Amino acid sequence: MLKIKSLSKTFYQTKGEKNVLKNLSLEVKKGQVFGFLGLNGEGKTTTVKIIAGLLFADKGKITITGDNSREKIGFMSENPHFYDHLKVNETLSYVGELFGIEKEKINIKIPELLKLVGLEKSAETPTKKLSKGMRQRLSFATALINDPELLILDEPLDGLDPLGRLDFKKAILALKKQGKTIFFSTHILADVEEICDEVAILHNGKIIEQGNPKKLLGRSKKTLEEFFVEKVTQND
Amino acid sequence: MIKKYFKTIGVIALNTFRETIRDRILYSLIGFAALVIAAGLLAGSVSLGQDLRVIESFGLTAMLIFLLIITLFVGTQVVWREVERKTIYLTLTKPVTRDQFYLGKYFGICLTTATSALIMGAMFLLEIYFKAHIFSVPALFSIIWMIFEVWLLTALGLMLSTFTAPLSSAIYTFCLALIGHASTSIWQIAQKSPAALKYILDVIYYLFPNLEKFNLRNEVVYAINPPFSQVWTTVVYFIGYTALLLVLGLMAFRSDEF
Ligand SMILES: Nc1ncnc2c1ncn2[C@@H]1O[C@H](COP(=O)(O)OP(=O)(O)O)[C@@H](O)[C@H]1O
Ligand SMILES: [Mg+2]
Repeated sequence: MLKIKSLSKTFYQTKGEKNVLKNLSLEVKKGQVFGFLGLNGEGKTTTVKIIAGLLFADKGKITITGDNSREKIGFMSENPHFYDHLKVNETLSYVGELFGIEKEKINIKIPELLKLVGLEKSAETPTKKLSKGMRQRLSFATALINDPELLILDEPLDGLDPLGRLDFKKAILALKKQGKTIFFSTHILADVEEICDEVAILHNGKIIEQGNPKKLLGRSKKTLEEFFVEKVTQND
Repeated sequence: MIKKYFKTIGVIALNTFRETIRDRILYSLIGFAALVIAAGLLAGSVSLGQDLRVIESFGLTAMLIFLLIITLFVGTQVVWREVERKTIYLTLTKPVTRDQFYLGKYFGICLTTATSALIMGAMFLLEIYFKAHIFSVPALFSIIWMIFEVWLLTALGLMLSTFTAPLSSAIYTFCLALIGHASTSIWQIAQKSPAALKYILDVIYYLFPNLEKFNLRNEVVYAINPPFSQVWTTVVYFIGYTALLLVLGLMAFRSDEF
């Protein structure tokens, strides 16, 4: 569904060059929930932005399979921002129109999505009045408006309270049941173990570990968090 | 396919229009312009017999100045603000190409400047009607030409804003607007200059936009309808120059990273 091959990206900062991604490769199969794990600043957002076409890779290739692939992707960017002059429902309507969805269909879809993400009471709220968690919920709704086959979510759990996280996990599992593929980045490991079919750990620009979380942990009594810290320190 | 391509541009343009037209600074500018245009009535009553000419000349100049301010203010900020406020991610992660985004922004700003021009223009035409009981066709042309001028400058400001910060691109656009209005003088000076200087001035004359093509103030004041040949050369010039600026801006914008 999503294949990343030998992706490299260097940023030229005032301090000097920074090789954020060094030959990063990974593959997300259809129907998987894939957790893309890494500490802050490891290059998760950079990877997602390259997939979205916001940044250009120096080297490497990204292939997304599926019909009209770009029309069938739902993106959620890190720290989502919205237009100040639009309300919650207008924001969803704008995104729906960008996908070329007919107005009537959008109007049917909006209340469904708002209910799904728990914003049904905020339809008429201007987006600038939303809290961090509510922005995250709205962003998730915008990622779902086109009924995507592939979801690419950057730090979707960020800023959500425990209830929000629970809602999110439920929603992810429901989407998985519908056969959707979900690729999401996170530095919060506590929640991902239960919902991911596959995780990959990004460190120093490469994937240092990849596999099913239960298999990775094996019979050891470690949590994913402990496993993660161990692997990252081993690779330094 | 083609229909969908342009529909997306339209969605972005409308959103940009809605965003910029609600700006309080824009309201104040239009309001202030209205006052200044109305003040022409007072200025007019000072100089006997010349009333109408003074009102027309003064009103058109005031309109142009305010439209330029609005264009600089809106045109050079809109894309930068999308990047700064990260709203660009919301749009560019959808099936929207960089070209569609850029053109959508351009047409959105054009809608805003045209709306401002039409409000001011309507006031101006009313004022002439009130004073002289005529509907001035040259004045209508002049207003349309002004809209063309600011649409061209919007394409310029937008292009510059893909290279530099909004303040510098506003300053550059302003300077180019000044040069553009001095183009007739530049050409005249060039004819009398030594070869080397003439060469430089000629380059400036042909490279930079010739905004005097959009100046119909004399025609308005002396109530002359612009001849047909002038109308269509101006339209062709506007379309050609603006298209060139849009293409250059797009080429820069395509390789930008966000
Ligand atoms: N546009 C940019 N210019 C320069 N450096 C950048 C840019 N974007 C990200 N970086 C750097 O690249 C590294 C990876 O950033 P990012 O992909 O945001 O990490 P993550 O999402 O995993 O926290 C960081 O060190 C960051 O400072
Ligand atoms: Mg990140």
